[in-house]
Order: sequence, then structure tokens, then C-alpha cells
Amino acid sequence: MTSLAFTLNGKAVELDVDPSTPLLWVIRDELAMTGTKFGCGMGLCGACTVHLNGNPIRSCSFPVQGAVGQAITTIEGLVDEQGGLHPVQEAWIEHNVPQCGYCQSGQIMSAVALLESNPQPSDADIDAAMSGNICRCGTYSKIRAAIHAAAAGVQHYDPQANKAEVAS
Amino acid sequence: MSIRRRRFIQGSAAVGGSLVLGVNLTGCGPTPLPHAASADLQPNAFLQLSPDGQITLQLHKSEMGQGTYTGMATMAAEELNMPPNMLYIEQAQFHPDFIDPDFYVMLTGGSSSIRTSFEPLRKAAASLAYLLRSAAAEQAGVDIATVMLRDGNVYIGDLEVKPASLIDRARQQELPEEVPLKAARDYRFIGKHNARLDARAKVTGQADFGLDAQYPGALSAVLVRCPHFGGSLKSFDASAALSSPGVEQVLEVDGAVAVLAGNYWQARQAANKISVEWNKGPLAGVSSRALRAQRHELAKTEEGKQVEEVGEASAAVGERFEAFYDVPLLAHATMEPMNALAVASDDGIEIWSGMQGVQLALDAVERATGIERSRIRLHNHFLGGGFGRRIQNDYVVEAARIAQLSGKPVRLVWSREDDTRHDFYRPNSTALMAATIDGDSVSSVQIKAVAPSIFGQFLPVMTRSLLPSWLPSGVHDGIGSMAAGSDPAATEGLIHTPYNFAYKRSNYVMQDVSAPLGYWRSVGHSQNAFFMEGFIDELAHQTNKNPLDFRLANMDPESRHFAVLSKAAELADWGNPPAGQYQGLAVHESFGSVVAEVVNVSADGGRIRVHKVTCVVDCGQVINPDIVVGQMQSGINFGLTAALKGEITLEDGAVQQSNFHDYQLLRINESPEIDVHILPSTNPPSGVGEPGTPPVAPALANAIFAATGQRLRELPLRLS
Repeated sequence: MTSLAFTLNGKAVELDVDPSTPLLWVIRDELAMTGTKFGCGMGLCGACTVHLNGNPIRSCSFPVQGAVGQAITTIEGLVDEQGGLHPVQEAWIEHNVPQCGYCQSGQIMSAVALLESNPQPSDADIDAAMSGNICRCGTYSKIRAAIHAAAAGVQHYDPQANKAEVAS
Repeated sequence: MSIRRRRFIQGSAAVGGSLVLGVNLTGCGPTPLPHAASADLQPNAFLQLSPDGQITLQLHKSEMGQGTYTGMATMAAEELNMPPNMLYIEQAQFHPDFIDPDFYVMLTGGSSSIRTSFEPLRKAAASLAYLLRSAAAEQAGVDIATVMLRDGNVYIGDLEVKPASLIDRARQQELPEEVPLKAARDYRFIGKHNARLDARAKVTGQADFGLDAQYPGALSAVLVRCPHFGGSLKSFDASAALSSPGVEQVLEVDGAVAVLAGNYWQARQAANKISVEWNKGPLAGVSSRALRAQRHELAKTEEGKQVEEVGEASAAVGERFEAFYDVPLLAHATMEPMNALAVASDDGIEIWSGMQGVQLALDAVERATGIERSRIRLHNHFLGGGFGRRIQNDYVVEAARIAQLSGKPVRLVWSREDDTRHDFYRPNSTALMAATIDGDSVSSVQIKAVAPSIFGQFLPVMTRSLLPSWLPSGVHDGIGSMAAGSDPAATEGLIHTPYNFAYKRSNYVMQDVSAPLGYWRSVGHSQNAFFMEGFIDELAHQTNKNPLDFRLANMDPESRHFAVLSKAAELADWGNPPAGQYQGLAVHESFGSVVAEVVNVSADGGRIRVHKVTCVVDCGQVINPDIVVGQMQSGINFGLTAALKGEITLEDGAVQQSNFHDYQLLRINESPEIDVHILPSTNPPSGVGEPGTPPVAPALANAIFAATGQRLRELPLRLS
């Protein structure tokens, strides 16, 4: 066991855990934050997608040691302090995207990252950025529509701002 | 092969159907109402009004994406004349009033939730509304006709009365024999409400799935199971696992090995260090290939049971034309792997999980643990996908047994590999489709379906919930065996077709060697629509007819099929696809709804690409139009996965696939544009969760024939 520190949704986290433990299980089992989902354990389905300094990663196959000193954002971190939703979340609600909903945390984290880097994505851009996220309910038509809708109004949240609080 | 089909679910003691939870309340009739508080007004099991003014709806159907959470609230809210989002929704415990009239148990499946709740739930809500109006009328000394309920308040003219203030008086009111329901023309929400009430929770990570349940100090458990179906544990060595970080305990649980550790990762890592020897059991040496060959042989040599005969055999004149159709086993692959959290104590056992059949789970846990049901508490959650998988309760029982034997609170988590290899699969099935063609018309269609029986495996599970507890276990198995040979799921969709050929006959031959089987979204229709609508397309070409014209010419012009198919062809601009694209179509009735789909494909360079699916559905009265659209899109993508990718294979009685690299699911870049049109209807609601799935595989295969001239008769579709 080693003491590891990183920033999670803007808050400093320090815990004793085997550094090879996938970030997903640190988030779910050690920190009891359940918005990030387990789907495959091999980075094949995207249900566990979180952001590392704003970039999407598959936390089920990302050892927690890779997060040391970095800023991690989960679905819980998209909501602002007043409880306001991220525009992508608003678009998801507006378009009734979720069905069973299990994959949607990962879908939304991928979509937010896409729009951060490409504010006006084409259908082909969406295919490229979102094909790592499986939805067994097949909500793809609505995901596509919601991303286009959000593209107009996405506001930027700054994952780098989280770094200020990183404990060393 | 001489192996008898083995039953995979075994229980030692049978139990009765009605149950009383360990909660006792006054004034609530013979069976206590779930989640009741004595200060509440509770006219029935579905609804309660609390002193704080909150109206709570007991959600008696599992929410697994299909929209029951919103649909049930919408139906109840309509009669309460308040927006659906004003209701507080609670996952229901078991209660006899929640038993589904189709299944005789409390179960979510068969696309029945809205259909079977439409009357009773609206009546339950109308009863609550009536009691409140009656109480207000009595209090004010006015006629009840002058009292109305609107948006959470009771109004006597302009005078506003809070419902909670009427609770005591409402208890004394009498309900009329028939509580009047709103006329359809007065609906404010049914057919109009388009939001999903669970959307916010599901986009913020707050939705509570089974895997998200928390219990202080709960350990993570993983289970190492025999990979060969029906096999057993010979021996295991856990010494390396026991010294693995975080491991608390390793124990044998009913022929499998459980590893308990501080977190999932530790448990999984330790489990990988266990060496196990298995007895392969009755399916040793059995492969999918051999089972397929056996079904073809059975189709040639066995008559089976005749399921349908329409017209006279003598009418089957002309030249015989026949073809074999085949589909493989399929896994459900819900995104949330199976899991359950269980805590055993001297008081009994408490379990948190996502289940489609809470009552069946109660029965199964009681049988497996010997803990009487009054001491079993089950908490249902949102399901991260169901599709029929969570009707089975193997994972709930496993967690209960691990908790019972270890004495520790445990969260059992299946890996994706566990989930893929220990499912209850869509049956691998074959049909010998035959027709007689007399000149340019078809005089008969004669079908022989060959498949193992879901019913034969599942019925003993059902009867244990339905029949008296003193019946010995053999009785249930016997009923299963008797029923297996006439499994309705094996031929649903092949019989009662809209086609009026002079002679129609369907037979079912049961294959008695099988992997564990279960209900997979649209069940028998999932393969039989492919068989039927693929073969109908062949018959159109055999008789030189346009596939649309051939279908319409052979069905009743007044039928729903005719209307749905005609509309789909019109909306898809049938016969005029964009350059380089080709079209195929299919129409199929399932779960009371009729769906037609037109698929546009291209097949450049041997690569099948689905561009667009046009879907028309007649599902009776619609509750939430956008959920219907979503379910059609969902069913189509589910069906496309099966048509293009899905295949579980057996080797030596074990599943060869493991995760999403070798059991692939459709991704967004492969998902077509899907255009859904709902036909208006004044009929009562019919199924929505499943009927979108069956037509897409045959429509796609028919489009591929149009594009390439290759008639593909086996799923998944592969160009030669």
C-alpha cells in the first residue's frame, strides 16, 4: 500500500491503495462514488469513462498511480456548486437520451470531452469520438442529436483549475 | 448424442404463491401494503398520500430502460389530474396486487407492463382521487360533482383544499362499485407527455443501480464458476489467493469458489490465482456446430408436434420449394453486469439488486437459503439493462448464499466474462421452411421449427412460485418436461401470420440438448420473424413479385399489418432508394403490436452498411410518444446487433466468447438513421419494449439480397 494523492472533481484526495488498482475501483469501492460505471474491465465499452486533465480515459484499465498529481473529473464533477447541470447533461435530458441509463455517465463524459476539443462536431467527428462507448439500449440516434444540440451552447469548465488544489 | 437436457435451476423445497412481508399494519386488508405508514391514506397497493402531502406511487414494474418509471407515473397522474413529475416514485416490494395477469407472478417482461397496468393503475389512481373529492364534498357540504382535483390540490369552486388535510375523512368515504375513468379526449398527459422522469438522475450519476447499493463494511465477492454447463467442482487450491492483498476469505459455495476481499479489484486478482479442477458434466464434448447439425437432422427425421394447421393439406399443390434457416445462441449483454448485495443476520437476509422478477427472486432465495420468506427483504433498483436476463435470479441467489455461508455482508460482482459465459441464452434454432408454388402463386407454407425449449427449463421455476408448497420437486420438473415439447416461444411468430395462403402448417421439434436458455428481448419472435419474413421474401422472388406487392396481395387489406406495411413503404419511398443503396422490408406482429421496417443498405466491397431504417408501429394507445420512438430505435439497434454480429458458440459445453471484443455490440458509427412513425390508434396499449426488434434482421437480409443477390439464411449475416 502506498499513499497516493490526486484531485477528484476539484477536491484533494489522498488514500492508501495498491498503485496498480484501476482508477475505477478506487473511485467506486474506496471512495464510494458510484456515478462512474463498471461495464467490461477491458476498456472496450466506455461505461467507466472519466477525465484526466480534461481528456477522456477508461478508468477500468487505468492504474490509479497514473492519476497521481493529476485532475480527475467524474460525472459528479460536471454539476456546478449551485447544482446546475453541464449543457451536455441538459441536452441529454432535453432529448430523453437515457433508457436504462447505465452507460450514460460514460457517454456524457466522452461527449463533454469531444465538445471541449471540437465545439462544432460533424456526424463523422461524433462517430470517431463516441464509438468507444457502447449503449446496449441503442440510444445512438438521440446521443447524436443531443451532441449537436449541446454544440451550440456548451460552456467551458476548466479541468486545469482543479489542479490548484492538488496535494503533492 | 444421447444426453438428456439438464435442468440448471434446482431447488429442494417448493413454496407457495402468496406471501406476507414482515410488516404489520392496521386497516390494510389481508395482505399488508408495502412501504406503508399508518398515518398515510392508502386506498390500494399502488398509491399512498402522506400527511406531508406527498403522493407516492409504488413502481411495481422494473425500470430497465423501457420506460415503466415514466409510463406508470403518467397513467396514475392522469387520473390524479396532476403532472407526472409531482409523484414520488418508489420501487415496490412484492404484493399480490402487483402480480402480472399474463404471468401469474410479479414480473416485468413480455412487453406487458403498460398493457396490463393500463386499467388497474388508472383505477387505483381514480380511487384515490375519488376518496379525496368525496371527503372534500362532505366537509364542505357540497355535491361531489362540484369538487375537482388539479395539480396536487382539491378545489371546491375557487376554494383550495390541501389533500393531506382530508386524509382522516377520506378514510371514511365509500368508493362506488365502478370508479369512473377519464375519457381519452380529456387526457392531459397520456399520449402527450414526452419527458422521461428518470432522465435527470441518469445524466448526473445519481440513478441507483443494483451495483451502486452501499452497506457499511460490505466486502466485494467474486465467484469462480464451472465453465462447462452442468459441470461440477472437483477440487481447488486457494493458497495463493488467500495470501493475495486484501483477501478476507475463500470458500466453496454450491459448487463454485467465492473470493471475498476489501474491493472488487483485490477479489478479482485473487480469484485469478485459484487453480480449479472441474468435472465437465453432461455437455462435455458438445459443440454449437454439432448441435446445429443435429437440428438439421431432426428437421428431416422428426415430425414433432403440430402447432398450427389452417386449411386443407390437399390445397398444397404445385412445386415444393424449401430452405433451412438458422440462428445461434445469444447473450443478453446488459451493460450492468449481474450483481447483488446481500447481508445475512439472525433476523434473516436483506438483498439489494436489480431484478425483473422480485417474486421469483424471493422464492429462489428461500429455496436456496432455507430462510423463510417473511425474513427475506428484497430491494429492487434501476436495472442497467434487462432484456429478459434479470428474470432469472441466479446472481441474487449466489449473493444470498455467499452472505449466508460467510456470515459477512457481501457485494457480489460478475465480470463481463462471467456475464457472457453464464447467461441464459436465446435458443439456437433452426427452421425448415417449405412452400408449394402453383404457377405464379403460393398455395402453402409448411414450417418445421427445431429448437431447445426455454419453457421446459423455466416452467419449473414458475410453478414453484405458483403451486402449493407441499408438492415435491419432481412435480415441477415433470410439468416442465411435459410443457417443453409444446413451448409456445419456439413457434411464436411462425403461426398466426397475416398471410392467407390456402394451406399453412407449423410443427415444433424439441432439441433436448441445450445450454441454459432464457427470455431474450422478443423471445421466439427474435428468430421466427427472421425465418418467416426472410422466406416470404424468397417466395416473392420465386413468383416474380415485388416483395411489398407480394405481401400486401396475400394479406387482409383491412388488417393492421396491411396498414403498417403500406405506411412504412410510403415513408421509406419504397422502390426509390438513394443511388447505391438497396431496400428490404419486413412486417411482424409481437406482443400485441405490429411493426414494419424498411432497411436501406449498401454492400460496397463486400461490406454491409445500414444507412437508414424506416419504422412504423401500431401499438394501440400511446402513453409517452417519445419513449415509443426510443424503444423502436432501441429494438432496432438490438436487432441489428443480432443480425450483424451476435453469436455465442459452445465448445465442450462451454461458451467460447468472453467480452466485447469477441461478443461485439453495435456502436454509434454502425448505427443507422432511424425514422419512427407511430400510427394513431384507439385500441388499448400493446407492447413497445420488444416489438421493434423482430423485423429488422429479415428486412436487412432482404435488403442484402436486393443489393448482392445473396440470400443469407443464417444469423449473423455474412456475405460469402
